[in-house]
Amino acid sequence: MPFKKTPQKFAAAMKTVELGTGDKKIVLGGESVLPFYSFDAPIENAPKVGVEIVDTLLEGAPAQMKEFYAGCETMADMAKKAATIEGVDFITLRFESADPNGADTSVEECVANAKAVSEAVDLPLVIMGCKNNEKDAQIFDKCSEALAGKNILVLAAKEENYKAVGAAAGLAYNQKVGAESSVDINLAKQLNVLMTQLGVNADSIVMNPGSATAGYGFEYVISTLDRIRLAALGQNDTTLQMPIITPVASETWNVKESMASEADMPEWGDVETRGIDMEVATATAVLAAGSHGVIVRHPQSVTTLSKLIHALI
Amino acid sequence: MAKFVTIGERLSTTAPAVNKAFLERDPEPILMRAKQQLDAGAVYLDVNIGPAESYGPDLMKWAVQLLQSNFDNVPLALDTSNMQAIEAGISVYNRAKGKPIVNSADAAGRIEYIDLAAANDAIIIALCNGEGIAADNDERMAYCQTMLERGLEHGMETDDMWFDPLFLVIKGMQDKQMDILEFIKMLSDMDLKSTGGLSNNSNGMPKHIRPIMDSAMVAMAMQCGLTSAIVNPNDLRLMETIKSCDVIKNNILYADSYLEL
Repeated sequence: MPFKKTPQKFAAAMKTVELGTGDKKIVLGGESVLPFYSFDAPIENAPKVGVEIVDTLLEGAPAQMKEFYAGCETMADMAKKAATIEGVDFITLRFESADPNGADTSVEECVANAKAVSEAVDLPLVIMGCKNNEKDAQIFDKCSEALAGKNILVLAAKEENYKAVGAAAGLAYNQKVGAESSVDINLAKQLNVLMTQLGVNADSIVMNPGSATAGYGFEYVISTLDRIRLAALGQNDTTLQMPIITPVASETWNVKESMASEADMPEWGDVETRGIDMEVATATAVLAAGSHGVIVRHPQSVTTLSKLIHALI
Repeated sequence: MAKFVTIGERLSTTAPAVNKAFLERDPEPILMRAKQQLDAGAVYLDVNIGPAESYGPDLMKWAVQLLQSNFDNVPLALDTSNMQAIEAGISVYNRAKGKPIVNSADAAGRIEYIDLAAANDAIIIALCNGEGIAADNDERMAYCQTMLERGLEHGMETDDMWFDPLFLVIKGMQDKQMDILEFIKMLSDMDLKSTGGLSNNSNGMPKHIRPIMDSAMVAMAMQCGLTSAIVNPNDLRLMETIKSCDVIKNNILYADSYLEL
């Protein structure tokens, strides 16, 4: 019997969200099929790969990465260099040192860095904070103001600070707002509802439903992404049709597989290769489960993932 | 499973204010009731213009255009015994938000409504009745089969045939209620869709009782597989029950604000 191909058609689609401006702007989402199911219907906007630059610069970075960024003394220097990585679609700035329980870098300094980066490169920008809800809300507010018109994404508003972040980034400065939940599909939906009830345009929201490193409770991440995509497309749940972005680097570089030295773990091989492998494996899995964008740190990871995506779509 | 489909019943000539507005082509009371129902979460709106003999086609066209132009092509159920009026309504109907529903056929004098729905690529509500109320589920199922065959002969998809078991009034026919629920289960087992005038069950009961009885009935019927009902969407208790059942049935994903959606 001849094979009859039956496309799995959904009468619903993920929303599209644009980031950045000009020639380098990117579009996330828009498809009405499951991830990479381009045989069912065309996927116009392939998933995007972003490179993460942390404000502690190259502190603790592995050797090849240090070599790549050699001579860079500021986030702007690094961003310029990062923009040359083959396959990079956007740049993410993470203000880790702003944590009040750490170096407590001032909001003004973060904003100055973000502004310098935006003047140095024309790729779309994503701003991440330090995981302190109050400080992050201030960073997002001031960065949104300073980068008005640049169409940045602040990553992200959480249940605890969505009002402040949504009102500043989404309403006052018309930027894009991430909605972050920690691997809790009901909360992912609820945050989208709350943000739209606040007045943030549904087309300005990107979801970060949480991540983990492959092997670390990762099946919950995958099933959450799966269920979001199935509810969005199969049940036409408009409160879950926002595109999904997953910060991968901030998870994967902190596990023992990426950190244990070769001296301690000779059978595991080169530590930098392991770090890249963990990052690429995790990012690949979240892309396959439904992310529209991943954020990684190592230049080799960016290029590898970009090639993978474009070979499939 | 798909989300439960509510069909708002409040645009009916049985309400004197609506009847008057239809006869006088007065948009205000119609639009007000339509808005109230849509704000409360109705998916479809039923447009019952009564028998409307000579003026039916004009009236139905007017009503369809009035409602769809004001409410973003809201999908409608066209409800009248005047077949020409239904065809006239469909001729100006915009399908962007869903096919029109023809309300309704039965297995006796109104079986041609199925042909009409088939010819116009519409959904048909098929009342499992003959000349009178079916005596038992065997008879109901025979009517269902007759109509199903008729629809298939005319090229309809089964998904476009929504079978109505005919909800019966509890005050007077209390002993028949479980039959109706079992019949809904039979339809569901056959993978057929179902709908019906839910509030029939509470006819004649005091006003404060009806939302309670309607909510209990819809929950039990949804458990049996009911996929839609013609309801008063402004009955908050009923709508909250439907949304909660949709969550329990995994038709919609839970979020703390689910009742507001």
